[in-house]
Amino acid sequence: MAGGGFDAPESGSGLRKQKKYKKGKKIGVRIDMTPMVDVIMLLLTFFILTTTLNTPQIMQINLPKGDETDKVKVDMGDVVYVRVSEAANVYFSKGLSDGTEAPPEKVTFDGMKDKIEDLYRANPKLIILLKFDRKMKYNTMVDMLDEINKAAIEKRYSFLKMEDPDKEIVKNAGG
Amino acid sequence: MKKARSIKKPGVNIDMTPLVDVIMLLLTFFMLVATFKAESTEAIEIKLPESVVTDTTKLPEKDIMTLTLTKAGDVFLDVDNYNVRETVFGDQFAVGLFHPDSTSKSEYETTGGKVNGKEFKRKVIPMNRAQFEKALTDLRLALKNSTGGKSDFRIVLKGDTQTDYGVVEDLMDIFKSSKNTRFALVTDVKSDTPD
Repeated sequence: MAGGGFDAPESGSGLRKQKKYKKGKKIGVRIDMTPMVDVIMLLLTFFILTTTLNTPQIMQINLPKGDETDKVKVDMGDVVYVRVSEAANVYFSKGLSDGTEAPPEKVTFDGMKDKIEDLYRANPKLIILLKFDRKMKYNTMVDMLDEINKAAIEKRYSFLKMEDPDKEIVKNAGG
Repeated sequence: MKKARSIKKPGVNIDMTPLVDVIMLLLTFFMLVATFKAESTEAIEIKLPESVVTDTTKLPEKDIMTLTLTKAGDVFLDVDNYNVRETVFGDQFAVGLFHPDSTSKSEYETTGGKVNGKEFKRKVIPMNRAQFEKALTDLRLALKNSTGGKSDFRIVLKGDTQTDYGVVEDLMDIFKSSKNTRFALVTDVKSDTPD
């Protein structure tokens, strides 16, 4: 403001000159941010769209090492067979110490977690043997593992092939 | 007139600095967080099953061997390292195809190159069981050789919800016999709403 006086000696044009000067200073100071904002907005949109925030999670599965020959002997009393039919019906049957097993019991997906925890409380050495029907959907398998993972137990489960006798048991229990 | 202008001026120019600051922050956030979709077998559309696994293990960033299981029971074998693909498959963009279930036919082969009803662009090498097992071992070996034994593939199974369990069972058999005893299933995060 004060420096603007030297080329405006006359008072008549002083007002006009000062006005002009003020306007000029304003333009010089202010940086127009609009193009920058435009570019940043573009970049932002690009990154928002390309980012996959929900990176899929994984479910770790460890298969037993070693050959088919070194079999582990387990007490039938610690075993619970979980058979899942083609129609995704779940049957639990508890193994008994004399080598036989209890009749199958139908368990719903919702009740499975509690059921597993109950079994674990009764016998902490519990081993879950999963027998899935080959025609069963993969989704059901993941759901099953998820239920087992949800249960607050020491996870000991393994996959067994569903043989014809198993299919028979499931069929007799209702398919 | 001058008075009117001086009143008008502050109303007209909006100070964009705070806006720019916020946008800059957001931009930085997204740039740092961004993980781009891997090109690999992504072209196959798969509906992943959902799970609520308590330990939140995330998919590793690299050195993944992806086995994609389609609805029809085809297994696509792919790795995220094109040099390894080159050495094992003889083509940088090839994927292996294996159809474990002998009772049904491979969708890719019967439809002449379609996966889930869509054209699959990449080169596909059909394999039988023995070749598939060999490929699993060869791929790992190739990666180990190229990195001096530092890295190893993680086996990751991407199955469609509607895939038959039989396919998975056959694969587990193969994993067991080829000494690949650790693998992971890829799932989507399930929202907490009970269904």
